[in-house]
Amino acid sequence: MKYRARWIALAAGLVVTVFAVVLATQVGTDPRADANKSHLLGQNAPALDLPTLDGGRVGSSDLAGKVVILNFWNSWCIPCQEEHSALADFYGRHAGDPGFAMVGIVRDDTDGAIRRYVAAERVPYPVALDPGARASLEFGTRGQPETYAISPDGVITGTRFGPSSVANLEQLLAAARGQR
Amino acid sequence: MAWVALAAVVVVTLAIVAWPRGGKPSAAQRVQSVSSELRCPDCESQSIAQSSTETARAARADIRTRVAAGQSDAEIRQAYIDKFGPSILLKPESGGLGILVWGLPAAALVLGAGGLVLALRRWRREPHLRPTEADRELVQRARPR
Repeated sequence: MKYRARWIALAAGLVVTVFAVVLATQVGTDPRADANKSHLLGQNAPALDLPTLDGGRVGSSDLAGKVVILNFWNSWCIPCQEEHSALADFYGRHAGDPGFAMVGIVRDDTDGAIRRYVAAERVPYPVALDPGARASLEFGTRGQPETYAISPDGVITGTRFGPSSVANLEQLLAAARGQR
Repeated sequence: MAWVALAAVVVVTLAIVAWPRGGKPSAAQRVQSVSSELRCPDCESQSIAQSSTETARAARADIRTRVAAGQSDAEIRQAYIDKFGPSILLKPESGGLGILVWGLPAAALVLGAGGLVLALRRWRREPHLRPTEADRELVQRARPR
């Protein structure tokens, strides 16, 4: 084949050009962007059956028919500490509503540390433990804090990764109630 | 002849590396294999197999349960993709943009090897120049006395 080397050089140049175009179109996109959102949005929430800090249990049957806010957190996570007052404030606004439930699920922490934190900060809402990280895995959590809103029919309607403000929590609650 | 021998060595080496070993993998081997392909959810670059976080331990237990329940490796991977998204995979998928990730290095290797072969053949065809008597006399005259 005449000018074989040129054909090979042309093919190599084509491969490099395609690669460059693909890279250029991917610049600015985060290959791990899907790690910043829940893939369970719109799906039925995983079943829960967890021990609570006060020695009881909380499960899906206790939460059925209510708008539920679940917050995965732990005592050593700084953003969790930052959002604590917002969570407490938000809970205080809605605790009297029988159609509302909120549970803080502890993720990756020790029993002693959690008890000390809850006592020191006077966490007002129920706190559940997640031994074996089963709930954390089922909800697809990647860290903390992560907050999930669940509608009365058990569908995850909203999620928030990172610390939440009262306004963020009210938005999640409205979405779970079907209000926008 | 040397090229034939070199090519034979490369082919045999690749065959040894890529040849499937033993029979069907055990359940433990499958758990290890699948866990190694999935990113630990709360780590940056460790696999579920490597990480010691509570979530990673829960994931290993979950994978063990799924293997025991008869799920295939592909089904288990898909279950984790459904829960965490494609970034849970440590290796790029072989479809979509992943084709370029896997295909481009292979294409570059083939093109590079082809270019090298062509260059070597060209160099071999170039005439070997030998000095003539006239060249030797010229050098002798030019040498300082």
